[in-house]
Amino acid sequence: MRWLLNIWRTLNKPTQYLTLGSVSVSAFIMGIIFWGGFNTALQATNTEEFCISCHSMESMPYKELQETVHWSNHSGVRATCPDCHVPHDWSRKIGRKIEASHDMWGWLLQTVNTPEKFEDKRLEMASREWKRFDRDNSLACKNCHNYDSMKWDSMSKLAQKQMKRAAKLDQSCVDCHKGIAHKLPDMGTARAPELIAEVGSGVNGLEVDQTYFSALTKPVYFNEKTDVEAGTLNIATKVKVLALKGNRAKIGISGWRKKIGAGRVIYYDFGLNILSAQLTKDAALEEGVISTFEEKEDPMTGLKWQRVETVIWTDTDYLLNDLQPLWDYARSTYSTSCSVCHTQPDESHFDANTWPGMFQGMIAFVNMDQDTQALVQKYLQEHSSTFNKSAH
Amino acid sequence: MKRRDFLKGLVGTSYVVLSGSSVLAPLNALAASAAKTNEGWLTTGSHFGAFKMKRKNGVIDQVIPFERDKYPTDMINGVKGLVYNPSRVRYPMVRLDFLLKGHKSDTTQRGDFRFVRVTWDKALSLFKDSLDEVQTKYGPSGLHAGQTGWRATGQLHSSTSHMQRAVGMHGNFVKKVGDYSTGAGQTILPYILGSTEVYAQGTSWPLILEHSKTIILWSNDPYKNLQVGWNAETHESYAYLAQLKEKVAKGEIRVISIDPVVTKTQQYLGCEQLYVNPQTDVALMLGIAHEMVAKNLHYTQFIEGYSLGFDKFLPYLQGETDGVEKTPEWAAEITGVSAEIIRDLAKVMTKGRTQMLMGWCIQRQQHGEQPYWMAAVLATMTGQIGLPGGGISYGHHYSSIGVPSSGAAAPGAFPRNLDEDQKPLFDNNDFKGTSSTIPVARWIDAILEPGKTIDSNGSKVTFPDIKMMVFSGNNPWNHHQDRNRMKQAFQKLECVVTIDMNWTATCRFSDIVLPACTTFERNDIDVYGSYANRGVLAMQKMVEPLFDSLSDFEIFTRFARLMGKEKEYTRGMTERDWLNKLYTDCKNANAGKFEMPEFDEFWKEGYVHFGEGKPWTRHAAFREDPEINPLGTPSGLIEIYSRKIAQYQYDDCPGHPTWMEKSERSHGGPGSDKFPVWMQSCHPDKRLHSQMCESEEFRGTYTVKDREPVYLNPEDAKARGINAGDVVRVFNGRGQLLAGAVVSDNFPKGVIRIHEGAWYGPVGEDGSKEGGAEIGALCSYGDPNTLTQDIGTSKLAQACSAYTCLVEFEKYKGKVPAVSSFSGPVEITL
Amino acid sequence: MSAATTNPVNQVRSTIYQLLSSLFAKEVDHKTLHELTCTQAQEFWSQLANEPDFKADVDVLVAELAKLNSDKALLELAADYCGLFLVGTKHSASPYASLYLNKSSSDKAATKGNEPLLFGQQHQQMTQFLKQSQLQVQSEFPEPADHLAVILAYVAHISMHSSHQEQLLFIRDYLANWLPKLVAKVAKVDTGKFYIALAQLTLAWVESDIEWLASES
Repeated sequence: MRWLLNIWRTLNKPTQYLTLGSVSVSAFIMGIIFWGGFNTALQATNTEEFCISCHSMESMPYKELQETVHWSNHSGVRATCPDCHVPHDWSRKIGRKIEASHDMWGWLLQTVNTPEKFEDKRLEMASREWKRFDRDNSLACKNCHNYDSMKWDSMSKLAQKQMKRAAKLDQSCVDCHKGIAHKLPDMGTARAPELIAEVGSGVNGLEVDQTYFSALTKPVYFNEKTDVEAGTLNIATKVKVLALKGNRAKIGISGWRKKIGAGRVIYYDFGLNILSAQLTKDAALEEGVISTFEEKEDPMTGLKWQRVETVIWTDTDYLLNDLQPLWDYARSTYSTSCSVCHTQPDESHFDANTWPGMFQGMIAFVNMDQDTQALVQKYLQEHSSTFNKSAH
Repeated sequence: MKRRDFLKGLVGTSYVVLSGSSVLAPLNALAASAAKTNEGWLTTGSHFGAFKMKRKNGVIDQVIPFERDKYPTDMINGVKGLVYNPSRVRYPMVRLDFLLKGHKSDTTQRGDFRFVRVTWDKALSLFKDSLDEVQTKYGPSGLHAGQTGWRATGQLHSSTSHMQRAVGMHGNFVKKVGDYSTGAGQTILPYILGSTEVYAQGTSWPLILEHSKTIILWSNDPYKNLQVGWNAETHESYAYLAQLKEKVAKGEIRVISIDPVVTKTQQYLGCEQLYVNPQTDVALMLGIAHEMVAKNLHYTQFIEGYSLGFDKFLPYLQGETDGVEKTPEWAAEITGVSAEIIRDLAKVMTKGRTQMLMGWCIQRQQHGEQPYWMAAVLATMTGQIGLPGGGISYGHHYSSIGVPSSGAAAPGAFPRNLDEDQKPLFDNNDFKGTSSTIPVARWIDAILEPGKTIDSNGSKVTFPDIKMMVFSGNNPWNHHQDRNRMKQAFQKLECVVTIDMNWTATCRFSDIVLPACTTFERNDIDVYGSYANRGVLAMQKMVEPLFDSLSDFEIFTRFARLMGKEKEYTRGMTERDWLNKLYTDCKNANAGKFEMPEFDEFWKEGYVHFGEGKPWTRHAAFREDPEINPLGTPSGLIEIYSRKIAQYQYDDCPGHPTWMEKSERSHGGPGSDKFPVWMQSCHPDKRLHSQMCESEEFRGTYTVKDREPVYLNPEDAKARGINAGDVVRVFNGRGQLLAGAVVSDNFPKGVIRIHEGAWYGPVGEDGSKEGGAEIGALCSYGDPNTLTQDIGTSKLAQACSAYTCLVEFEKYKGKVPAVSSFSGPVEITL
Repeated sequence: MSAATTNPVNQVRSTIYQLLSSLFAKEVDHKTLHELTCTQAQEFWSQLANEPDFKADVDVLVAELAKLNSDKALLELAADYCGLFLVGTKHSASPYASLYLNKSSSDKAATKGNEPLLFGQQHQQMTQFLKQSQLQVQSEFPEPADHLAVILAYVAHISMHSSHQEQLLFIRDYLANWLPKLVAKVAKVDTGKFYIALAQLTLAWVESDIEWLASES
């Protein structure tokens, strides 16, 4: 019983000398011992009553849960707090419970004791839970919802398509299904949440010499360290990873630029106003950023264009292997959002350089964030009559 | 009593006549008391304004403006008349000969009103059978279900969305591009200013009021046209017009209305008018540009930095390319504006901050692309594009454009398209080498000349062979030009289906007519404040659908059921589910930025308000950095000369703005020797296009001898022996109509006005019903499109040219026929 | 009032009003046609034709009914019905009292123009009458209560339940005041013969009934 004595000693020290972690561990262990016996304790702590006895949830998440299908449904199966928030595997279960005793501090310090404070912390708390779901691939969900036993036929075509894709990748459920048991936190500052939910936040472990596509309009930087922005990489742009350092990737962007101004806008191809990247004036003039090649005059405008290779740094996130999910999202957004007022023209009805004018003139009543707008415009341009000669 | 002997004879006979079919039933007390509940104020919206309504005994009783509409129009007084209208389509109906002979019916009878009532089941299966027949026999090129009309308020029940989603689940069909209001403008401006401009948010009024020294209203009547809006309108622009009126009175802002007529706006503001001969605006603009160059008033630095091709335009302006120098004197000859005034205008426009506000009428004429292009060139020459209170706008008369937007996300809508992976019943995309999309105003051409290839916006369009049309909430027998040509075309169609609430002329020329309820007989949600996007409005059902009408949602849910696709159609959701979803999606999109209550609370409250927006300047970002914020033109700059257009090599739309003579022009122009008078058919003052024309009592507030008013110059009227209140026959080689004379100094010699949207009401020579379907029939009410010309603006836009129209008029001496466009009080003249 | 209920003459009158109501309420279909042409019906028509004021119209009706021997003939008659009573154009004879009793729109130019033409005052009045008699318009008949068929059906009802004096007042104030205008309009615009005859017979019957009620009360 020596270890117990040690713990007693530790606990009797003034708390200011303790790390938060050790207090949490101790508090949890003391808690279960006083509860009377370890395994019994573990069982007992795995009930809803236990959770809500300490986690001050009567007012918020617990009530929200009671509004959802996870609480009440025609099959009569109810998911309670621990079903989702405590892993079923023993060692992870213990780990989680120790984690949860952090909340005691929250309780002591009255971190979330008012609805306002709770709302302020909601995103932070939800993000922690989402991260955990992500880590174990939504195992808690999958204890009840199994991809293998899903009845595809009873789903809508759209749901089928999305679920099958998710099943193939054994995707984590909360990637898409957030805010189903409790209120979705205000993610006002998150960019294009629906888009990212659909295409993911990028490849883990980029490889040098591989090509990727940007999932958002991303800032670019002068080097691997600085926070000084050198411009932006437009959404759905092909880049080649040239080097990797920490959270930064050195990328190459091939394209053309107009020989007007500082020549800091990089376009997809000669004579096509399909945006790939915009650099700051400084970046455009910086040695080694833009390498220049042959020049051609665009007969449609009389402007000189120049082929360029751009080398610049960006964060490693939001880079995708495949362009198709972006186009799928763009097509469905275009079809839904742009038919609110009128029948949307076919993608191939206009050419690549006409689309920006048509699209920009028509978006007054469309709900699209900046990233989605940029994506849809690029989708239209790259599926326009310039590329698709078959239709009209 | 002797006269009652026959009764006694009947007594005791066991005959009981049709006993089971009384139209009366015992009073259902429960239902009666249920109808009594909820007799408080309900909220809803219309294009004429958001409003509130109270019922009495189950019938709409009082209508008052929405509390946030400070400038309501009197058009909301017409709402009751729209709902309780004798012209309601009451039951599903099929034209008799079509019912008997199907696609082989005698189509010359179309328009003679010989219908029979059928059940919904029968009507919808006939509709589906026709679609089956067309898809089987002709494929998708035989069906045009894309000729769509204006919006109906409400994001859920949009008539076009429902029709196109349901018909699209059956098979593919021909679609349109462009619209009748801004066809030329929205096609030319992307080449010039890089956006359609006409439907884009414009510089905020507060900035215009603060910075503009001169405002030019060019063929623009905002005070009239801002009464109606795309969404549930709340008329915020009028507060700014009121401020402008004050500034005009104080001499702080000079407003010049360049227009042949004295507009309602000019009268309201008390501003100046600059008379210009109809259809000659481009010549006037060229004269101004010439003077700017001659006096070196133009802003060359701006032209060089922000535009392309001025050097290619200059030789034309100075007469080097065509031998005609576009001097103010040259322009004066054509326009009727003196060279001196033209010179002064050039000075005024370049000396201080000048905001040009263009109306839409001048692009609804032959070569309608040109005035919009040339106006952009003038604005570029002033160097003021992108400055607050300067530059050019093509939309400040429309749907609260210029009122700062709230910046909130608006609710989405019921899907118009098929969901991803849904396939139509007839999954055939073979248009047999013809075009699947045609310019909106060229569909009659297509019906009359299938297989013909025309130029259109840089590509070739080959007309499909259209055999069947489907219209929903759309009245092309109002907005298309040349009724008699339409009659010819319609005789070639095998089947026409129309879904509408009241008997429009389009219903009359259809084979299957289905009754939709009005927007006030269903639950919906909409934006209020149009472009200001000021909030979300609950459109609460005021009364149950009248007669046998149904909501669009219900009509096409039933139709989808016939195809075995009901669940695909509705996604398994009810009206209430959809409203909740559309609202909640909007709430989520606004989370953290605009607080919105839960749906139930919103519905109870009637609306959620987003608050004021921030003032904003159009094209300011471009001006600030044209490299990073290029325009959507090929070069990213303003294109004074467009190489792209030039390479199309269109004779009627060359590479730079050009003055071209019209096929018909008054004041000495072509054709004026035969029909000397120009007819303008602008947007009405008391309607939204043809919407509200049928509202019987409200129409009575402006008609003359039951006819649509024709506005006449006093001298013109006198010369023809016409007094105010006379019935006038207006005619040309294309048609004839009757209208009621209003004589007014607001209209110059050689110009008359009849507002479009006047319901077509053809009658035979003797005013009989039989003649209505005939080609050449007299329109008894005064639809100006009986007289207008059905030609494209040019090979570029192929848009409608209603404003290129000459007519003659006379006092009508024949027996005046009753107006046949509407039902209404029955006057017996025996 | 109770005396009226048991009166066999009132029963017959009620039956006639009910018949007329039914014919204005909807198109003649196969079932109705059978009921109108069976042996008992023929006896009924010939009794009615005994009255000189009715004879000409009854003869036309009987002759027209006899011609309805095909689906097409029934459809043609349905189209006549539709053109008169359903499409609501200037060339129809809409069956609503409100359209014949309200002033025409041009007289009202001074008002704000928000008085509806359907479901207005006349509809409200009729709804009140029906309610007092514990009645309402059938839900399968989605029409305003001032539709001719409703008013005729209501007279059929009060023929059995109200005093002659009350019947007379109702018929005079709510039916006879506009029926002649409707009948004139039918006569003017009907392209067939059936509905002209039916309308004229209705008018003749109502006039004779008024005369009779006046003499009885």
